[in-house]
Amino acid sequence: MAKTILAVDDSGSLRQMVAFSLKAAGYNVIEAVDGQDGLDKAKKQTVDLVLTDQNMPRMDGISLIKALRGMSSYQRVPILMLTTESGDDMKALGKAAGANGWLVKPFDPQRLTEVVKKVIG
Amino acid sequence: MATNVKMGSQVKSLLSGVSDHGDRHLIEVETDLVQMNILLCEAIKKLGSSFMAIHGALSIQQETVNLLLSGGTPAPECIAKLEAIQGEIGQHVNAAVTGLQFQDMTSQLIGRMVKHLSGLRDVFGALDTGSTNVLPESNHEDIVTLLNSLNQMLAERSVELEGALRRAVNQRHMESGDIELF
Repeated sequence: MAKTILAVDDSGSLRQMVAFSLKAAGYNVIEAVDGQDGLDKAKKQTVDLVLTDQNMPRMDGISLIKALRGMSSYQRVPILMLTTESGDDMKALGKAAGANGWLVKPFDPQRLTEVVKKVIG
Repeated sequence: MATNVKMGSQVKSLLSGVSDHGDRHLIEVETDLVQMNILLCEAIKKLGSSFMAIHGALSIQQETVNLLLSGGTPAPECIAKLEAIQGEIGQHVNAAVTGLQFQDMTSQLIGRMVKHLSGLRDVFGALDTGSTNVLPESNHEDIVTLLNSLNQMLAERSVELEGALRRAVNQRHMESGDIELF
C-alpha cells in the first residue's frame, strides 16, 4: 500500500510540483495551503510523512511542527522542512521544534524523492 | 520676522512637495508590483498545466511504443535508444520542475517589496501631516522643534521596518538547494 505524505505550502505552484514529483514516485499526497490547514488535515488522517514550508499565513511551519509533536499520533512521524530559509538560526529552531530534516528550495524532484525514500522507504 | 515667514513657507512647501511627489510614485509602483504578482501567478498556473499535459502525453506515447515493441523482437540498439530517450525526458522534467519554482520565491520577494513601499508611504503621510503644523508665521525655534520630531518619527519607523521585514529569500539562482537530515 502506497505511503501518504502531507505537503504543506501556501504556494499553489510549489504544492503542484511537490505532488507531481512524489506521486510519480508512487506516494499518495495530501495538500494543505498553510500550517493551520495542515494541522486540520493531519488530525483527520495520520500520514507517513509531513513536508512543510516555513513562512505561511495563519500558522508557520515551525508552529505546525510543535503542534504535531504535541499529538501522540505524530510523535514519531518524520517531518521535513522544505523552505527558502537557509539560515543556521532558523534550522536550529526547526530542529528544536522536532523537524527531522531541512530542504532548501528550489528542490530537485529526484533528490526530494531520494530523501523521502531514505526517510520512510 | 520676514526671514522667519519665508523659512516657514519654504519648509512647508518642501515637506508637502516631497510627500505628494513620493506618494504618487509609490502608489504607482505598489500597484504595478501587485499586478505583476497576479500575472506571475497566472503564468505559472498555465505553465504548470501545460507541463503536466506534456508529461501525460509522453507517458501515453511511451506506453504505446512499449506495446508495439512487445509484439515483435526489437533490436537491442532500439531498446537502448528508447531507454536513453526516456532517461533524457526524465532529466528535462526534473529540471523544469526545479525551474518552475521561481514563482514561490518571486512572490515572497514581491510581498516584501510591497511592505517596504507601504512603509515608505506611511512615512510620507506622516511628513505631510507634520507639514500642516508649519505655519507661515512659525519661527526658527518652532521649525527646529518640528524637524526634530519628524526626524525622531523617521528613525522609529526605520527601526520598525527593519524588524518586521527580515529576509526569508536569499537565493540568487534556481539550482536545487541544500538538504540536511537531522
